[in-house]
Amino acid sequence: MSISREEVEKIARLAELQVDEAALPGLVDQLSRILEYVAQIAALAATESAQPFHPGPAAIRFRPDEVRPAPLAFGPERMAPAFRDGFFLVPRLGAFEAGRDDAAEEDA
Amino acid sequence: MSVGGGWETVIGLETHVQLRTRSKMFCGCSSVFGAPPNTNVCPVCLGLPGALPTVNGQAIRLAVRAALALGCEVHLRSIFARKNYFYPDLPKGYQISQYEEPLATGGGLSFTSPERGPVTASIVRLHVEEDAGKSLHDRVPRNTAVDLNRSGVPLAEIVTGPDFRSPQEARAYLLALKEVLQYADVSDCDLEKGSLRVDANVSVRRRGDSELGTKTEVKNINSFAFVEKALGLERDRQIATLEAGGRIEQQTMLFDVKANTVRPQRSKEESKDYRYFPEPDLPPLVVPDAWLDEERAALPELPAARRVRFAGQYGLPATDAAVLVQSRLIADYFEATVVAGADPKPAANWVMGEVLADVKERSGTLRVTPERLARLIDLLKDGTVSHSAAKQVFAAMADNGLGDPRAIAERLGLIQVADTGALGEWVDAVLSAHAGEVARYKAGEVKLLPFFVGQVMKASKGKADPKLVPALLKERLGG
Amino acid sequence: MTATDPVVDRLAAAAPLHALLTPTAEVRSALAAQAAAAPPSGPLAGMPVVVKDNICTLEYTTTCGSRILEGYRSPFEATAITRLKAAGALIAGKTNCDEFAMGSSTEHSAYGRSFHPIDRERVPGGSSGGSAALVGAGAVPAALGSETGGSVRQPAAFCGVVGIKPTYGRVSRYGLVAFGSSLDQIGVFGRTVSDAGRVLAAISGRDPLDATCEDRDPLPLPAVPENLQGFVIGIPKEYFPSDLDPGVRRACDRTIRLLKDLGAAVRDVSLPHTPYAIPTYYIIAPAEASSNLARYDGVRYGPRPAGAVDVRALYRATRGHGFGAEVRRRVLIGTYVLSAGYYDAYYRRAQRMRSLIAQDFRNVFDRGVDLLFTPSTPTPPFKAGEKLGDPVAMYLADIFTVTANLAGLPALTLPIGRVQGLPVGGQLIGPAFLEDEMLEAAFTLERSVEPEAEA
Repeated sequence: MSISREEVEKIARLAELQVDEAALPGLVDQLSRILEYVAQIAALAATESAQPFHPGPAAIRFRPDEVRPAPLAFGPERMAPAFRDGFFLVPRLGAFEAGRDDAAEEDA
Repeated sequence: MSVGGGWETVIGLETHVQLRTRSKMFCGCSSVFGAPPNTNVCPVCLGLPGALPTVNGQAIRLAVRAALALGCEVHLRSIFARKNYFYPDLPKGYQISQYEEPLATGGGLSFTSPERGPVTASIVRLHVEEDAGKSLHDRVPRNTAVDLNRSGVPLAEIVTGPDFRSPQEARAYLLALKEVLQYADVSDCDLEKGSLRVDANVSVRRRGDSELGTKTEVKNINSFAFVEKALGLERDRQIATLEAGGRIEQQTMLFDVKANTVRPQRSKEESKDYRYFPEPDLPPLVVPDAWLDEERAALPELPAARRVRFAGQYGLPATDAAVLVQSRLIADYFEATVVAGADPKPAANWVMGEVLADVKERSGTLRVTPERLARLIDLLKDGTVSHSAAKQVFAAMADNGLGDPRAIAERLGLIQVADTGALGEWVDAVLSAHAGEVARYKAGEVKLLPFFVGQVMKASKGKADPKLVPALLKERLGG
Repeated sequence: MTATDPVVDRLAAAAPLHALLTPTAEVRSALAAQAAAAPPSGPLAGMPVVVKDNICTLEYTTTCGSRILEGYRSPFEATAITRLKAAGALIAGKTNCDEFAMGSSTEHSAYGRSFHPIDRERVPGGSSGGSAALVGAGAVPAALGSETGGSVRQPAAFCGVVGIKPTYGRVSRYGLVAFGSSLDQIGVFGRTVSDAGRVLAAISGRDPLDATCEDRDPLPLPAVPENLQGFVIGIPKEYFPSDLDPGVRRACDRTIRLLKDLGAAVRDVSLPHTPYAIPTYYIIAPAEASSNLARYDGVRYGPRPAGAVDVRALYRATRGHGFGAEVRRRVLIGTYVLSAGYYDAYYRRAQRMRSLIAQDFRNVFDRGVDLLFTPSTPTPPFKAGEKLGDPVAMYLADIFTVTANLAGLPALTLPIGRVQGLPVGGQLIGPAFLEDEMLEAAFTLERSVEPEAEA
C-alpha cells in the first residue's frame, strides 16, 4: 500500500507538520515502505471478527466530585512562552478564520 | 413568519450543556465560572506532558439523569474517544468525547410548536465530553489570548434529528430542553453564560420533497432571541441562493450580531477529519446498575406532566399552569402553599403576581414561606383584610422574614372593620357631612353610592370592610 | 565531601557514554538537597537512581530527548518519582533516550547518541539507552526507563543488565510522557534482579491519578526459591527462527539447559500470531503517538520559534523545527492510519490483531505453562549507523519484545552470556500480574547463569 505525494502533504497538514519540498520525495518513499510493511496484517481473515483489545482495568473507577486540583508546583506564567495579564498569548487567528470547528468567540 | 414560494425549512440542533458539578470532567480543578484567567488549572487540563485524565463520577450521574429525563436508552457500557484537531484553547490537541459508542441514544422531547402544535423532537444521541478553553481575539492587539479555566469542564452534547420546521420551533424546543434540564437539576442552561451552547444544521427543500437539501452549520448563537434571528437569516440566504439558481455549499456559517448577517467561516482547506479513536487513557465507561435505578427514581415530575396535572388537579387554565411550572422552584412553592391550606386559584394568582415580582427583584430568593402566604390568603378570604392591605402585609413579611400575617396586619392597623356599630358611625358621619348629595341620592341619583362608599373608606382610613359598606349605606339612605 | 559525592564521581566517570543529560554539577546540588530534605530511610535508602528523560521530575528538566521540550521544567513529578523518593532513593539525573521514546538505539535523540558501555562503536539500545548504559557501566545500581515496544528490555540486554517491564497497569503512568498510551509502562533497570525488583516494588501500586493503573497493592517481593522445581517453562518456537544470530542461540540453548538443571520442566509451545506483532505494533504505537504529540504546539510551554505570523504558522514552525525525522515519520504514519478511509483497514484491524496476539499467550498460560523463555533480542548490540538506512530494519530489532507490550504482559531480561565480548539477554514473559513468579525464576536463574561467559 504505497502513499502518494498528495496524501503525504494532506496528512502533514492534518498533523501541522511542515514538510520541506526537498525532503518530500524521500519521505514519501519511507512512508510507503512502512505502510507496505504494516499492511501485512490485512492477510489474516480472523481480524474481521476478533474483538479489539485494550489492556488495563475493565471499567472506569470514578473520582468523587470534589475540588482537589492535581499538584502544580508553579503556575502557567512560569512555563508559557508568551503570557500577559493572566492569559497565554498566541499570534492572532484572523477574525472568523480557520481553526476550531467553533466560532470565533466574542470578548467575554 | 411563514415561508413563501413553497419552501420548507429543516433544522436540527446540537446543544452542549454544562453539567452542574463542582470539579471538571477529567481533573479535580474547580469548574466554577468567573475565576481570574488560568487559575483553575492543573497539569491535566493544561495538557502538560505526562498528565492523564480521571473521570468525575457526578458528571456521569448527571448525564445519565439528563438522558433519562429525555427518554433516552442509557447504554451501560460506552466508550470515550479522542476527537483530534488543533486550536489554541484545546490544550491536548484533542478533545476527549464519545463517538461510536455514546452514553445514550433514542430519546425524545415534546414541545409546543407555534405552527404545528405538539411536536416530539427526536433525541438521536446524548454523550459526555470535556469543554475547551476560551480564546479571546480582541483583548491584545495582533494576538489571541487563551484562558484555560474552562478547559475540561463537563459537558453533555444533545443531538436532535432534523426535526424542526422553523426558527421559531427551534427556539421553542430549546426552551423546553432548558426547562427539563433545569428541572432535573442537571444544568443551569444559561445561554448567555455559556452553560448552554447551540449549533444548528439548516437546510431547505421544496415542500413535498422527501430528500434533504444540503445543510450548513450555523454557530455563534448566544441568546434565545438570536436563535430565531440567525436561523431565519440562514434560511432566507439559502432560499435566495437556490432561487437565483445557485448551489448551497456545505460549510459553517457564523452569526454576526452587529452586521445582522450570517457569513461563512473563512477558510478550512478541506473538510474536517477528526480521526476519532477510542481514548486509550480511559477504560470503558460502565454505569453501575444502581445509578440507573437511583436516577430514574429521583427524576422529578417533569414540566410537561406537571403542567397537565396542575391544570387538572387545581382547575387552572393552561396558561397559568405554564407560568407556574416554568420554574421548579416556583411550581414547588405554589403546591406547598396549597398544601398549607390555601385555595388553588388565589394561591396561583398570588404566586404569579406578588411572589414572582418579589423573586425577580430579589434575584431568585423566596422570602415568604408557603405557610405564611397560605395564612394571608385565608385572612383575605374571610375578609379580615382588604386586598390592598394584604399586599402591604405581604411586603412586610417579605422584608421581615418573620411574623404571622394576622399579627402583622394588626400591628399595621390593617385589620378590616366589619363591626356594624363602628361602620355605622362612619356612615352616619359621612351622610351628615354631605347633606346635598344625600338629597340628590334620595331624589334618584343612585349612581352617587360609590361616592359615599369612597367617603366612608376615606373616613375609616381604609379600614372599613368595603363589602359591607354599600349595604349599610343603602339601609341608612333608605333606598 | 558529602555522602552523595561518590555517586556524582561515578556518574562523572561515565561521562564519555553521553548517557546522562543532566550536567554533573546540577546532579551534585540536587542530590545534596534531596539528601538534606529527606534523611535516607526506607527500602531503597540512599540508592541513587537515574531516570529516563521522558519521566517528569521537579529537580531536573524533562526534554524527552527532543528539541521541542528543550529546557522544559515540569511543574509536577511522576508518581513513580514521588514513590522512589518516599522509599529513600536519590534521583541522580536524567538520561538520554530516543526522541519521545521512539527508537531502538538512542541514535534518534536530538542531543546526540549514547554509547555502549563496552564498545563505543555500538549502540546501547533504545529507547532507554542512557539509563541502560549507566547501569551497565556500574555508575548507578538502578535506573528508570520506559517501555512501549521493548525500550527497557532491549537496551538492558544490550548493556548486560537486568530490565523489567511490568504488567500494563502495574505502575502508574502519571508523569510518564505519553508515546503509545495503551502500550507504555515505566520499566526498571538493575545490576541485579534484586535491585531492579526492589525499585519496581517501590514504584508499583494503585494511583488515583492514572485511570489505567489497576487498583492493586504494590508488588510484593518474593523470596528466592532453592530451585525451579514445579516451574513449567515454555519455549515458543516463533522466537527461535532459523536466522537467529548463532551467538544468541548458543546463549539461549545454554540457558535452557540450565533451566532444566534447576528442575524446571521445559516444553515447546507456539504463539502463532507472532509474525504479525511488529506490523501491528507499528500501526498502534504511531497512531496513539500522533495524537499524544499534538499537544506540542508552542502555545503553553517549550521553546517558541520567533516570527510566526499566525497560529498555524506557529504550530508548523514549532513542530517542524522541534521534532526529529523519526518522530515526524511516526506522527505521519499515525495520522494516516487514523484518517478517514484508512481507520478500518489499519487501526481497527490492528486492535483486533492485538487481541489474537494476547490470546496466543493466554492459550499457552492456561495450559499449565508458568513462564516463557526467549531471546531478548535477535542480535547482539549492533553498530551505530547500521540500522539508520531503513526505518523498518530498526523496527525489526524489537521483534521479541513487542509482543509483551501488545498483550500487556510482564517481561524481564537478564544477562545470560557474551557473544564476542558483547552482552546478550534472555527473556522471561509471564502472565498478567504474576511478576512475583517471574522474579522467583529470575532470582534463581541469576544465581546460576554466567553472564560474562562467552556463549
